[in-house]
Amino acid sequence: MTRRDGWLSRLGYGAAGLGGLLLLIEAVPRLGLVDGRFLPPASEILATLATQLGTPELWVALGETLRGWAIGLALAFGAAVVLGVVIGIVPGLRALTNSTVEFLRPIPSVALVPLATLLFGPSLGSTLMLVVYAAFWQVLIQVLYGVAAVDPVAFDTARSYGLSAWSRVRHLVWPSALPYVMTGLRLAAAVAFILAVTAELVIGSPGLGAEIQVAQSSGAVSSVYALIVVAGLVGIAVNAAVRLLERRVLAWHPAVRSEVAA
Amino acid sequence: MLEISELHKVYVSPGRRVEAIGSVTLSVGAGELVCVVGPSGCGKTTLLRCVAGLLPASGGEVRVNGVPVTGPPPRMAVVFQEYGRSLFPWMTVRQNVELPLKEKRVPAARRRELVAGSLESVGLSDAAGAHPWQLSGGMQQRVAIARAVAYEPEVLLMDEPFAAVDAQTRADLEDLILRLWRDSRITTLFVTHDIDEAVYLGQRVVVLSSSPTTVMEDLKIDLPAGRDQLTTRSLPRFGELRGHVYRQIQRARGHGADR
Amino acid sequence: MTASGPLKVLRALAMPALLVLAWWAVSGSTFYLPSPAAVARAFAETWLSERLVDDVLPSAGRLLAGYALAGLLGVGLGVPIGLSRRLRATLEPVLEFFRAVPPPVLVPLIMLLAGIDTPMKVLVIVSGCVWPVLLNTVEGVRALDGVLADTCRMYGVRGVARLRRFVLPGAAPQIMAGLRQALSIGIILMVISEMFASSSGLGFTIVLFQRQFQIAEMWSGILLLGLLGLVLSLLFRRVERWVLAWYYGSGAARA
Repeated sequence: MTRRDGWLSRLGYGAAGLGGLLLLIEAVPRLGLVDGRFLPPASEILATLATQLGTPELWVALGETLRGWAIGLALAFGAAVVLGVVIGIVPGLRALTNSTVEFLRPIPSVALVPLATLLFGPSLGSTLMLVVYAAFWQVLIQVLYGVAAVDPVAFDTARSYGLSAWSRVRHLVWPSALPYVMTGLRLAAAVAFILAVTAELVIGSPGLGAEIQVAQSSGAVSSVYALIVVAGLVGIAVNAAVRLLERRVLAWHPAVRSEVAA
Repeated sequence: MLEISELHKVYVSPGRRVEAIGSVTLSVGAGELVCVVGPSGCGKTTLLRCVAGLLPASGGEVRVNGVPVTGPPPRMAVVFQEYGRSLFPWMTVRQNVELPLKEKRVPAARRRELVAGSLESVGLSDAAGAHPWQLSGGMQQRVAIARAVAYEPEVLLMDEPFAAVDAQTRADLEDLILRLWRDSRITTLFVTHDIDEAVYLGQRVVVLSSSPTTVMEDLKIDLPAGRDQLTTRSLPRFGELRGHVYRQIQRARGHGADR
Repeated sequence: MTASGPLKVLRALAMPALLVLAWWAVSGSTFYLPSPAAVARAFAETWLSERLVDDVLPSAGRLLAGYALAGLLGVGLGVPIGLSRRLRATLEPVLEFFRAVPPPVLVPLIMLLAGIDTPMKVLVIVSGCVWPVLLNTVEGVRALDGVLADTCRMYGVRGVARLRRFVLPGAAPQIMAGLRQALSIGIILMVISEMFASSSGLGFTIVLFQRQFQIAEMWSGILLLGLLGLVLSLLFRRVERWVLAWYYGSGAARA
């Protein structure tokens, strides 16, 4: 099978699948299987979506969400990379911090909702607190894996040639750990988006989540659906962007090269 | 017993057409051990998959006991080249050998007997409770052979079964196959790229051309039946047969190159 | 790495002890951070009482019910989708979309459809947990080994036996990875669904403490959620090691 034909027919099937879903959502309320007050027909949802896309409110909300996501992700990423590398290369530090990491990591970040509400109220600060906590562990764990995976022979070689600690990190640890770091970033980006929306939804920080909450409590059902579609599309865009970045950064790396070739 | 007549296989995909097998006709009599050799990439595996009913042929026919093959025939067993991937890693050696018998609804008592007997015959009675990944490559291939033997097939197909093991293990496994075949007389089609192996094991050696594959020669191996790694391989006749097959394969390769 | 017993214990406890000390030192300075002793007292008084039966156990029960349902649904749908190339191509964009929707936004939606009682909360958990399980199952089934599939065909292993002996165990590493992701999403959704509209449950109670400025009690709730997360992840690791014993043994798993 040539690649383009396979790709084309897959596109056809995929379009059929999406079309089928839209038809289903159109038919179910029209046939009265589910009350139209709770599930409006697809055409109505799409019409609402189109109207919403024309209003500045949606774009402002989207901007707020993405701002919280990006700032939180950047803070978590920076902190986790620095801490991860330090813990990974300073002898004994890994063993010393292990139990603490294993205890703190599974704590669900939504447990911090009340604390964030108290400290920051419905504002960007709350979003950042949840996003940073959730994203931090994803990156940290991967960085620790990555540093542990550095070839010990290469490490000894570098030491025997008298490379300084800083150049060892720069030329040896960082490049070997990079694939793990990028995996961590990819996982963290998805989690950060979930938590950004959650903070807005539950605490009321401005953004997409807050819009959904408002639409729901005011009974604007098709708006709720339209906003969920927006959230899904943004989620897809976030995943795609991070994957693209991962490929760019790791273009030299064998794991990615074979993935691209396959 | 096993008849392959004018078998033809073309891989078709949009915009591409690859003729893998031109036309292959050969037959294996009941209780015979026939080896198939050919230059690398000559469609040996395609041929075997067609015979096993794993791949539909584009033309021609395969018959087992006169019955045309349309899917995997009920009384046929295959030993694949990739021993590491043909055993279920989540099952023990015993469970691996027993699974096909359970599916054949063999009664439990008989099943135990068959499993114990076949593991004994490949020298793995002690490893019955181990998982495949705890064994060496050669031992894993022995498990696959035991599974095939316990299944009590009419026809046994082997697809380069020893291509991925070291030379020493390979010689042991070749003798194991000869011994099992002598004891059971299962009709066996053995595909290999190794000329020595083909001449050493086979009663007949079928030489294939390069792709699109045809049969270049069907050679009777007139070596004494009681074969032995040392004496058989040092017979002058062994050398002659080996040289003959080697020249044929060189010719086949030449064909492939100036095609 | 090969430290002896006592040294290991010391290493494991040194850092947490230091952190608690640091907590103690700063706790007096702010209203928002009571001392460890106060939180410990609040923990004992709050959670080792009828609240355990009234709030904590129902929450945990809903979580487990929703999680189990999502697991069954995800594997049940994922296997046929993974086995059929056409079905996969048809549903891929739809599934990718549902995976990308942040699960918490489904809470207000499902409240519309299913009210605010237990069914809603369970449904919320199912709706969030099912996607990682489903997508990982599809991926695991799609990547089943071709030689093993041929082996099954040759030896007449089909139908239920093929599913039980080949498809499910073969996809198990991926399925477990999906279940692991689903577990953390499940905890998040359990808490959120109770924070939203509820009169009982762990999430509700913690938010109540926060609104009434019962700071030590609120912290004890955060601590309890942390412990719940920790216990569930340890349990999951146990189960995973047991289910995938062959997988870790064969060295197929990487760190």
